Formats: sequence, C-alpha cells, structure tokens
Amino acid sequence: MSPTEKRTTHFGYQEVPVDEKASRVADVFHSVAARYDVMNDLMSMGIHRVWKRMTIERAGVRPGHHVLDIAGGTGDLTLKFSRLVGPRGKVVLADINASMLKVGRDKLMDNGVGGNVEYVQANAENLPFPDNSFDCITIAFGLRNVTDKDAALRSMARVLKPGGRLLVLEFSKPNNPLLSKAYDEYSFRLLPKMGELVAGDGESYRYLAESIRMHPDQETLKAMMEAAGLERVEYTNLTGGIVALHRGIKL
Amino acid sequence: MLVTPTLLLAGCERTLNALLARDPAAPARLAALVGSRLLIRLEQPHLELVIHYHHAGLDLMRGEGVDETEVDAVVELTPETFSEWISGASIERLMFDGKLAVRGRIHLLEATRELLFDLNIDWESELARWLGDMPAHSLAEGVRRAARWGLRAKDELMQDVSEYVFEEARLLPGQQQRNVLRDHLTELEIATDRLEARFNRLQRKLTQPPQSASQEPRL
Repeated sequence: MSPTEKRTTHFGYQEVPVDEKASRVADVFHSVAARYDVMNDLMSMGIHRVWKRMTIERAGVRPGHHVLDIAGGTGDLTLKFSRLVGPRGKVVLADINASMLKVGRDKLMDNGVGGNVEYVQANAENLPFPDNSFDCITIAFGLRNVTDKDAALRSMARVLKPGGRLLVLEFSKPNNPLLSKAYDEYSFRLLPKMGELVAGDGESYRYLAESIRMHPDQETLKAMMEAAGLERVEYTNLTGGIVALHRGIKL
Repeated sequence: MLVTPTLLLAGCERTLNALLARDPAAPARLAALVGSRLLIRLEQPHLELVIHYHHAGLDLMRGEGVDETEVDAVVELTPETFSEWISGASIERLMFDGKLAVRGRIHLLEATRELLFDLNIDWESELARWLGDMPAHSLAEGVRRAARWGLRAKDELMQDVSEYVFEEARLLPGQQQRNVLRDHLTELEIATDRLEARFNRLQRKLTQPPQSASQEPRL
C-alpha cells in the first residue's frame, strides 16, 4: 500500500485514518472521565449496574483467580472482582485512557480496595501480559472503541488461560423494531442533549450513539470471537438486545 | 424478564449492606466470615443463591451452575425449614429431622443467622452523622419517650376497654363469672348423672322378677 492510500476506520459515522481513531477516542474519554459514572446512571437510568452484575455472575470468578478487566474505566467490575478473588487472587484494571484509569484508581482506593488490584494503561490490541495469564477477562462497553477489534479479541484469547472465559458486555442491536425506533430517538435526540447539560460535551455523546450503531451485531461479534480462537461462544440479550453479553471459553 | 432476579438481588444486597453498616457488632462478625462463600438451595420456588462475605458486607449472586467445590458450604432447605431456621430453631434439630441438608463448613450457617438476624442497628449514631450529636440525641430521646408513652397508653387503653366491657356494660362475662358458671354447670352435670342412674335402677327393679329385686340395695 502506498503511503498516500491511508487505511481508514469508522469513528462514529465518520471515516478517519486508522492511526487517528485511538487518539480521537482518547479525547472523548478525557472529556467525559470526571462525569462518566453520573452520565452512565443518567443515560441508562441505572440499568447499567444490573448489566454489570449479570456479567459478574456469568464470570464465575472464585477466590484465587486472576482477572483482567479491560477498558475497566471507573472500576465498577474491578471493585466487585477484587472482593471475589480475595487476597490470594489478583485483578488487573486495564484501560487505554489515563484519565479514566486515574478516576477508576481514585474510586477504588476510596472504597478501600488495595492489595489485590493492579492498574495498567494498555491497548487491548496488544495486551502487555504473558500468554495464559488470566482465568477470566471482561471488557464492558469498551470493545466498540477499539480500532482493530479482531486483533483485540486475539490478544485477549492469547492471555487467557486454557479453560478461562472471556466476557464481552457491549451495546448491540435491539430485536424489536418498536424498541429499536424508540432507542434511536432516545440516543440521537435526547442523549447528546443530556451530555451537553451534565458533562458539558454533546459531541462525545453523539459519538457514543453513532459508535453503538457501527458496532457489530450479536451474531457478527459471536463469529468474531470464534475466529479469535474462543469456543462455546454464546450470547444473552439484555433489555431487549440494547446490550448483549457474549461469553466464550478458551479450550 | 431476564434482568429481574438480578435487580431484586441487587436491591436485597444493597439493603442488607446498608443495615450491616449500621450494626456495631457486624464488623467483628464479618471479619470471621471474610472470603467465605455459602450456596443456598431453596426448593419451591427453586432458587439458588450464593452469599459471598467481604469486609464491607456481603455479595448476593445467583447460584445456577455454581459447582459445590467452589463454595465453602451448601445448604438445601424448604421454605418452611427456612422460616424455622430464621425464627431460631436449632440447626442440629433441623438436620436430625431431615429437613435441612448441609455440606461443608456447617458453622457458616450459624454465623450467617447471627449476622443477618441478630441485627442491632444503632439509629442514633446514624442520625448523628446527618444532624450532629446533640440534635440526634434529643431527637432519639424524644422518639424513645414517645414510644414509651405509646406503650403505656396502649396498656391503659386495653385495661379501660376491658373494665368497661366486663364490669360496666356487662357485654361479656369476666373470668370470675365464667368460673362460677363452670362450677354450676359441673354440679348440674353431676346431679343429672345421679338422677339418670336412679332412673335406670328403678327401671331395672320394675322389669326384673321379684326374687332378684329383693337383693337390690336400698336407694
């Protein structure tokens, strides 16, 4: 490929050069990090907590396990995992964005979480861990922001121990046309306005709505996980398919 | 809906943790349980629940698909046994009666009951966090005084109503009147029995031959 023919990828509905997406996504999250939790509660009317709880239940994490929470942001999953793995286990909170990681670390420290949690600024496409390191990997609302999703899934499969499980919690495609219509109205009209009012940044929340639409649907993501080397991949639609929880096992 | 049980569990967990945070005895009890996992299997409605203890309280999770080797104790019980258990029945008795099956660290069950059902919440200290020590104490003292007055008023009202019903309006018999009536009825019952016996003997006398009648004792 000649240097002039730059490969592009989507950033919401825009096409941007591949090497530019990560920095653009980073800008979005630098901008919203401080109000991230408040906005999540407001946008989802608190249901995101239930989706995350279901992820934790499906993760089957036990005392002594090593868990990697990718794109862990403000540490909602890490907080719970750190209790479940106990002092013999370990949780790594990884995020590409330093602002989000800082908010997450402060929040976890305020909640008395210490000894068994590590913080790593890492790109999901090239995870800086040895092969077969983790019993469980979760990525909640993070995969759609990754530039090369296939590379990220392959990287996750690599660092997962045999028998370990990968859980991907991500926005998906609602299976009811009526719900889909209402959801579109909500996310394209109301969401940017809420972002403007609460986080003072409507554009970032417009990107959120657009990036959700550009994210692969349930079946496509399942096929991508299988292609990355995971087996027994299954998914569960939550809240009518607005969100889907995919789970795959490395055998 | 798929998320409903999770939502209910989240609500229960939040409530229990909020209550435990206000119980002065809870930290010591929790410290002894930290890291333990208890699987509860309830029959009808079928429900599997994992309780995981940590320093700040407990996590409640659905237990479907959880292997018994992943938990410290497994309890299988019916709703009736559950209500007996929380009302203080001895775990040994329930086990010997075959109503309760426990595997693993049995004492976890006793510790769980102690933690969750012997809650002694310090409301005054919670109020003090919001209002300050003095206002909280005054308010708590006021509530305690009101509660004492309420109990005394209830006792006096019950006494007055019973006096009116039994003594003044005579709508219902009192205890003493009932005893007298019972004595009279007993006497009447005995007298009736005697009379019946006499009638029977007279009847036998009239129907039997004269030689056997002469052997009858006198009335």
